[in-house]
Amino acid sequence: MEDKVFCITSGKGGVGKSTITGNIATALAMKGYKVVAIDADIGLRNLDLILGLENRIVYDIVHVIEGVCPPEKALVKDKKTKNLFLLPAAQTKDKSAVKPEDLISIVEALREKFDFIFIDSPAGIEEGFKTAVAPADSVLVVTNPEMASIRDADRVTGLCEAMGKPEPKLIVNRLDPVKVKRGDMLDVEDVLQILGLELIGVVPEDKNMVAYINRGQPAVFEDSSIAGKALRNIAERILGKEIPFMKLDAGEGLLSKFKRLLGGS
Amino acid sequence: MGFWPFSKKPSKDVAKQRLQVILKYDRAGLPPNAVDAIKNAILNALKDFPFVDVSGIKINFPQDEQEEKIELEIPVKTEK
Repeated sequence: MEDKVFCITSGKGGVGKSTITGNIATALAMKGYKVVAIDADIGLRNLDLILGLENRIVYDIVHVIEGVCPPEKALVKDKKTKNLFLLPAAQTKDKSAVKPEDLISIVEALREKFDFIFIDSPAGIEEGFKTAVAPADSVLVVTNPEMASIRDADRVTGLCEAMGKPEPKLIVNRLDPVKVKRGDMLDVEDVLQILGLELIGVVPEDKNMVAYINRGQPAVFEDSSIAGKALRNIAERILGKEIPFMKLDAGEGLLSKFKRLLGGS
Repeated sequence: MGFWPFSKKPSKDVAKQRLQVILKYDRAGLPPNAVDAIKNAILNALKDFPFVDVSGIKINFPQDEQEEKIELEIPVKTEK
């Protein structure tokens, strides 16, 4: 069976799970695939903002579980991107409102009607995380190249394996080539050596990302966005294409130019 | 890089080294001071045995092995 249901998780909060989920889902929908993105962060609804759909929500995932409406009726159709649908999280409930078996049955109901299903996991390693991972064919772990996030990524990797999931694939988010060059940020190779996972994406730091989210316009729409390109590449790799990882150059900073002039390396 | 008078070990190398140790312990479910604590307890337990070369005791938690084990080496004093 080809992987169709993906869970994006990280352990640590704030590493970019929702942004990545929204962008990969959008990128695949732009290519003509029928995609649903499920916000499984109950009580902390966010994926709607990334996609710019917050004003169009009528029903949410808890309504579906309570039997108020079927899953299809709760889906918010994205007007900008044909074929993209959002199943929003409930904002007023807490994480115990959705159990693993609830999400599994929602995903089963949607599976035949969509090409891809992306589940945006809450941070943490408790019930909400386990619920988000439960229906997934494949898990994508997001980390930033910094210590706490890497340690948490290792922890969720262990938990996914304990749940019988295949080994997660890794997305390194917010890599800043200038800091890497300066020796103050772990490079992708370092992160891979530490975590020992297969890499599926490297998303560079992009100073415009906040603006894209402000506008509810995912970065994958922007041809000029380097992060947008990296995110489109992840979508291609999910489709099984072999896309080489981008060369991320820092350019020559002032300090290194100065050192070079003085005769250093 | 040697020319630059203020160069010290890049912080990313420190981070990598620390993470490799932390994850080794996390993955094994061991507290971070496990190896030191065991070493101290063993030194205490063996110090009264005249035939044990206490100064040569080695305890090691290998980083690169699949099997989780703490290795202990206790050298015996031999008559020369």
